[in-house]
Amino acid sequence: MAVTPQSVREFLASKTRYALDEVGDDAPLFSSGVIDSFVMIDLMTFLERQTGARLAPEDLMELDSVQSIVAFVATRQRPKR
Amino acid sequence: MTDTPHAAPPSGIVILGPPRSGTTLLRRILDAHPRIASPPETYLLSAAARFLHEERFASGLRIGVLSGLAFAGFGEGEVLERLRGFVLGFLDDHARARGKPRWAEKTAFDAFHLEAIARLCEGHVRFVCIQRHGLDVVCSLAELVDKTGGYVHELHEYLRRDPEPLMALARAWVDTAERVADLVERDPLAIDLRYEALVRTPAAVVRTLLEHLDEPWDDELLARAMTEPGELGFGDWKTYGRASIDATSVDRWKGLPSATVSRLAALCNPTLVRLGYAAVEVGEDVSDEDARHRYAMGLRLQQLGAGKPR
Repeated sequence: MAVTPQSVREFLASKTRYALDEVGDDAPLFSSGVIDSFVMIDLMTFLERQTGARLAPEDLMELDSVQSIVAFVATRQRPKR
Repeated sequence: MTDTPHAAPPSGIVILGPPRSGTTLLRRILDAHPRIASPPETYLLSAAARFLHEERFASGLRIGVLSGLAFAGFGEGEVLERLRGFVLGFLDDHARARGKPRWAEKTAFDAFHLEAIARLCEGHVRFVCIQRHGLDVVCSLAELVDKTGGYVHELHEYLRRDPEPLMALARAWVDTAERVADLVERDPLAIDLRYEALVRTPAAVVRTLLEHLDEPWDDELLARAMTEPGELGFGDWKTYGRASIDATSVDRWKGLPSATVSRLAALCNPTLVRLGYAAVEVGEDVSDEDARHRYAMGLRLQQLGAGKPR
């Protein structure tokens, strides 16, 4: 399944009561408190399943907005040369 | 040939639902109606249920007041009629004292005594039933326990059977929600409401309810319900602090950790689906390695705080 801004929003909406419609694609999620650490770890598991790759601790800091999440996954899914 | 007059539908109203499902909100709304008096919680019906409590022995003999009085020459119908007259008489008198022709009774934990209450009241009252998403009920019950510092008697058996309080509260919800749903299915006079619809579209839901009860709607009813002080007494303390109806208590369960949601969902999903709610996703089992990875990442995330590495 492709990770798109829409699929990220749908995943996060299933994990939080926050009205994500009001959050822009570039708005911070974890660092602003929109999602908590439990949801971040759920998001990490979700992305690991989508990409088939383990995330490292430093990766978590690249997952702070819908835009950055989608961009991060795109780099992980880029075919190797 | 003479026409047989149709019996008028009963006028008394009993609000039933698992505790923390919006029964107090309904009580406030009905009490604000110019023709309905709904006192704070009276515990009349659960007290009557205890009066009727009986145990069935292996031989099939029921040990309790109905069998005991049967041996003394009082039929079950007569005993129930006397008890009904005694219990509902208080509500009749209360309504009369307030100058209203009808009453509505609501006590939070009545759903745990539903069989006995139905035995006493079915066909003699109009049941107004309300259900709420089970995981939200669990969150709200847990909050109630935190605030009050204890579990009511009706929950003790669940806590004895399950050492995890949230699971015990979920089992209590399943039992009471199923009993209320059974009542709705068999009693044509009962109406079946949903908390989420009530708080999202209160006017539409209350209009439907009043139509069912053959009572008129008025545009000021909801405002009156939320602003008039009403009588003080037992009931949900939170609703007294609210001056408007809103949906801020919907989907609170989404704040629970995923593992907790999964465990509650596995227990509650059949009942949620029966009541028309979407089944909650049950997470896949994780390997020990994955669990350790999640745990370690969670710790690292805490260290990172709000995006600032320490």
